[in-house]
Amino acid sequence: MKNIFSLFFLLSVISTAFLFQSCSDEQPTYVAYEPYQYASLDETGGSWHPKVLSSGAQIGIPAPKDITSPEYLAELAALKAASAQLSSDQEDAVKYWGGDGLVRWNEIARELAAKYNLAPAPDSAGNYGVPNSADPGKYPLFPFAHPPYACRAFAYWATSEYDALISAWYHKYNFNRPAPYTTDASIVTHLPKNALPSYPADGAVIAAVSKAALSALFPLEKEYIAAKALEHENSLMWAGLNVQSDITAGDSLGRAVWNAFKGRAGSDGMKNAQTPRTRSDSIRDAAEAMWHWHWTNLETPPRPVGITPWFGKVKLWNVPSVEIVRPGIPPAPGSPDFETAVKELKDISDNITRDQRRIANFWSDGLGTYTPPGHWNRFASDLIIKNRLNPLRAARVFAYLNMAMEDAGISCWDAKYFYHYPRPIETIPGFKGILGTPNFPSYTSGHSTFSFAGATVLSHFFPDDAGVLTGYAEEAAISRMYAGIHYRFDVEAGKQQGISVGNYSVDAAKADGGE
Amino acid sequence: MKSLSMKGILHFAFIFLLLLPPIVSLDAQTPTDATLMTKGQICLAAIYSHDSWDHYWEGTLFRTNGNIGTLTRQSISPMAILGITNNISVMAAAPWVKTEASDGYIKGASGFQDWGVWIKAKALDVKAGPGNFTTHATIGALVPISNYLADYGPYSLGLGCTDLSLTGILQYKLNMGLYLRGQAGYHVRGNSSIERDYYYTTHSVYSEKVEMPDAITWGATLGTWLFDYALKIEVEYSGLNTQGGYDIRRQDSGFPSVNMQNTSIGGEIQYYLPGITGFSVVASAKQIQTGRNVGKSTIYSGGLTYFFPLWKSGQTETITN
Repeated sequence: MKNIFSLFFLLSVISTAFLFQSCSDEQPTYVAYEPYQYASLDETGGSWHPKVLSSGAQIGIPAPKDITSPEYLAELAALKAASAQLSSDQEDAVKYWGGDGLVRWNEIARELAAKYNLAPAPDSAGNYGVPNSADPGKYPLFPFAHPPYACRAFAYWATSEYDALISAWYHKYNFNRPAPYTTDASIVTHLPKNALPSYPADGAVIAAVSKAALSALFPLEKEYIAAKALEHENSLMWAGLNVQSDITAGDSLGRAVWNAFKGRAGSDGMKNAQTPRTRSDSIRDAAEAMWHWHWTNLETPPRPVGITPWFGKVKLWNVPSVEIVRPGIPPAPGSPDFETAVKELKDISDNITRDQRRIANFWSDGLGTYTPPGHWNRFASDLIIKNRLNPLRAARVFAYLNMAMEDAGISCWDAKYFYHYPRPIETIPGFKGILGTPNFPSYTSGHSTFSFAGATVLSHFFPDDAGVLTGYAEEAAISRMYAGIHYRFDVEAGKQQGISVGNYSVDAAKADGGE
Repeated sequence: MKSLSMKGILHFAFIFLLLLPPIVSLDAQTPTDATLMTKGQICLAAIYSHDSWDHYWEGTLFRTNGNIGTLTRQSISPMAILGITNNISVMAAAPWVKTEASDGYIKGASGFQDWGVWIKAKALDVKAGPGNFTTHATIGALVPISNYLADYGPYSLGLGCTDLSLTGILQYKLNMGLYLRGQAGYHVRGNSSIERDYYYTTHSVYSEKVEMPDAITWGATLGTWLFDYALKIEVEYSGLNTQGGYDIRRQDSGFPSVNMQNTSIGGEIQYYLPGITGFSVVASAKQIQTGRNVGKSTIYSGGLTYFFPLWKSGQTETITN
């Protein structure tokens, strides 16, 4: 009797265990989407106005060999062999990159931002190191991809891709080399065909720019990025899209475009943004003298300098100056308006609902994540796929979104350190939140500024989704009050600031020839 | 007067002292002793537990955190155990947990954690020399009660996943009351859910689900009964080995799917109050000794248990271990 029980027992356990095992699925590590036929080709895209280059013609590439030349015919034969039979790894690579691969590189940039978004730990004496780009592998690793670092990284990645693709389009239609599968219909292709001229290969341009830009921004990831870029360029032949000379020309064009961006990146003021302590203290003292309040980091041990006190001085993309979008003075601590805001935060904290908690967490985008600018890049990627944008038009969306993101970050940081406003945990005795309070002043809310800038720009490009995007921005903004780390006036000023910044980006887009 | 089945009750009760701090021990989530209720007997119990740590392992780095200070986790576990037959008992519990940090500016959490349901059966019971050799097996299931947030670092009430376990228990007990017991369990876990749809572990994940690593729990116990089975004293060496997961990175927060490992040493005392049939008090202490991605917890517990015949009397003298 006992043994029968035991046997039954064991069998039921084992079978149930297998059922449970199947519940613990492996979760997706990238966003899967079907490679698509482009909605349009933008044949005149080569004449659009780039952001750093003077024109799409500025950087030349050698003229391609004629499609009847022996050299080209040999390339066609090599392509035919490369795409005829794919291994399963090659098939996966073709599908993963989907040809141009622009949204994939955006995803990689977001992943790197998340990976490097960790604050330095204190050493045993209670001191904090500072990441050093000259010695990136020494702890704390370089970079610390906080929101200012991340928004700037996305902006350089996106604008250099945009300029590179304007150049690519210029040369594509200047040289007009037809796609290999147009010249030789027997070439097997594994992705949708299009009527774009194939020289230079847009996929190779994108891979080369991403490799150069992201390696500069995340120097410890050079090898990882190089392997990705190599696979991407190889996948263009496996897919039957480009011959080797298309790829070679695209790669060299991409590298040359990034070289043209290095000057701006090296002189935009970012290297002074993380100020030494003396300067940080004098910024605080100036604020105290002017406003009779100041922000203080309350961590243990205290971080002596907030995140990038001089990020507000970094060169803007489309906003004429930070002063133009700087909000008015926030309510003084102790004033009736301030007390109203404090009461609201206390009420939320004391009665937080499940939905409020969910919203605070969903939009948290804090340490170890791709930050709010990353979140808006994700929305942009989804919309690009949904609207089947060609890589040039997709790069345009990324460029204006991310210029707005960096301009929003710069403007917001200007206000943060100009007003130096204390956080709720400083002004409300005993107050605690459900997320960690970030290491910079309160006013204006970065989430609100980034999100309304993002919604403004994306709503311009995707007007059908404007309502949804604005809803996202509203939720992201108020999430910071639910988390207990911002007052309503931080959020509302950030919203207005974000909309203003976003509109400057939209105005620039309207004038670049691509509308 | 004091039947040996009381001992079973207390053993069952004791499991709950150690229920599930997500960053501490999982080793005693499942019934791991060698006793059973007799048929028709029910035991009701309430156990209070106080677990605190001021050091933790960030990966393998042993450290403090000034923004946490001391993390305290208190729980109250109401539970019931019923003897279905003399060889099979069923137990259920629903712990209420409260977490709080002494320092920093992040709120603690409180609420009901996971339903726990266990079925334990005896497989073997043979006389061997001056004692008895017994084997038991326990199947257990944990299911989150409330939608508490598992993605809340050390403040989380639990791991937020279902946990199905199978535990094998071997014991040799001398007739004089001294016993040595070993147990090992395998825990198959379902996904945990969080409130964001992107997170980074060692790579990006685009999901609100978190794939949870399985775990092995084990323990070795030496104990004895004294004063005509009025007092039990026990020491235990036990551990948790998560099968996979990743290390918390430098200065990163905890996450449900990290690779939690620990070993601990603990002891417990049970005392049957004279003159009150079916009533007892229990107390224990336990400390994590080595660990990885867990807090170095010190856990104190205490509680009361009371048993009585639910549908049938007259079986209380049955010796079930």
